[in-house]
Amino acid sequence: MRICRLLSPASILLLLLPFAGCSRNSTTAGPTAIQAEQSPFEPPIRLPNSADSFKFAVLGDFGTGKRPQYELAEQMAIVHDLFKYEIVVLVGDNLYGSERPQDFEKKFEIPYKPLLDAGVKFYASLGNHDAREQRYYRLFNMDGQLYYTFNPNPDVRFFMLESSYLVPEQVQWLEEQLKTSTSDWKIAAFHHPLYSSALRHGSDLQLREVLEPLFVKYNVSVVLNGHDHVYERLKPQNGIAYFVVGSGGQLRAGNINKETGITAVGFDRDLAFMVAEITGDEMYFKVVSRRGEIVDSGVLSRRKIEESAGSR
Amino acid sequence: MAGIRSSILALLATILLAPVSCRSDDNPEPPPPTSRSPQSAPPTERVVGPLTPEDATALASMNDRIKEYVELHIKVEQTLPALPTETTPEQIDRHQRALEKLMREARSKAKPGDIFTPQARPVIKKLLVQIFGRPEGDQLKASIMDENPVDPDTMKLTVNARYPDAIPLATVPPQVLQVLPELAEDLEYRFVGDWLILLDTHAHIVADYIDDALPE
Repeated sequence: MRICRLLSPASILLLLLPFAGCSRNSTTAGPTAIQAEQSPFEPPIRLPNSADSFKFAVLGDFGTGKRPQYELAEQMAIVHDLFKYEIVVLVGDNLYGSERPQDFEKKFEIPYKPLLDAGVKFYASLGNHDAREQRYYRLFNMDGQLYYTFNPNPDVRFFMLESSYLVPEQVQWLEEQLKTSTSDWKIAAFHHPLYSSALRHGSDLQLREVLEPLFVKYNVSVVLNGHDHVYERLKPQNGIAYFVVGSGGQLRAGNINKETGITAVGFDRDLAFMVAEITGDEMYFKVVSRRGEIVDSGVLSRRKIEESAGSR
Repeated sequence: MAGIRSSILALLATILLAPVSCRSDDNPEPPPPTSRSPQSAPPTERVVGPLTPEDATALASMNDRIKEYVELHIKVEQTLPALPTETTPEQIDRHQRALEKLMREARSKAKPGDIFTPQARPVIKKLLVQIFGRPEGDQLKASIMDENPVDPDTMKLTVNARYPDAIPLATVPPQVLQVLPELAEDLEYRFVGDWLILLDTHAHIVADYIDDALPE
């Protein structure tokens, strides 16, 4: 019903085609934002989209309540109709400005209503624009905690951190959780990026000094961040895949510094979100812009190191 | 006389060598005197110092005030319906604003220095000078000032004021939090401009502040 309202038959066909006809074995692509603009509807790498895989989306820096956020949310619903992601991982700045009840509606519940109605669960981390009370908001599934962990799938565990206030007790908690988890996939999500080429904020070196050794030691495969209002996939750092997905609501156009040497793919021309699928030891991902462009896609393998026994 | 001196030295050594504990309950202990270098401590440990016994005593006065504040906070909050861990924006907002009002009324005579006591303030400032005097001090300061180009005076920031909804929370780097005394849950150190504030995150109010806390 919603799709029928939003799309003409021709545009539905245009959307379906890329999902149908791409090569599974293409490895992590290296197209730049410029290439993406030249071929906005080039066929993306096909996700397996298999029935028993774990599928999720990533969204950050989105809660403006303005038209661009709503347009990207519509795109998220369109993609969900084709690719049934179960959860959305929020990497912070969930509500900008005022946080009255009507703001929760305008900046979250209304734009993502189709996803909420479809049973998609959102798991939030907090950014520097977020009041601490958001942890009690039932649709953010934080269970009253500023930092927490959850495993939506037996093979996957997320570690949701509060990066604007990383007290030693949180670091201690994180190390304990990472140490005892035996999930194949350990994915960390929090607001401030350890690596970023964006000019506005860039890499947070203080956080990196504390968190990166833990991620390396305890076999974290993927780190998801926001804060910089662009999309960027970093070249793997110490074997870990880093993504900045702060492109959910208010774009900072042209903000990626192309000279840092750490960018694998950057996109700073439009809003975008990420979808991913974990099947076995591989994680397939693609990044979709507000216009429906596939601006990045690829597949990565999980890190494998010796682990001590522990709980999943 | 020599025996007494050696006993005191032994006691002092015991205190100095005692590991700094990480606690997460609502009544953190005041930091013990320590000569440990925070730079050599793992990020999982809080190392407040180095502190002389006099500094530790000064911080203990702040710790006493924090305990009093937390007790008051708990007492006031108990008069409100309990907030579930998964609830609606309406309940969150109602609870938060009621708590804000009650805390402001309960501390109607509160003034700067009530928690950051006159004895503790110079010690906190000294700790900040130490951390920002490190080689990476400029980076730490840049991290704090990111999205924090705020003048606390123009904001009319004061004790019991509501933390402005439109002002993002300045990031406090872990290296800074590691050397500051532990706080109870719902209290956080934050910077507004170069002021260090003690933020009651649940009531959204400034419990106390130290102006010009960020070293030049």
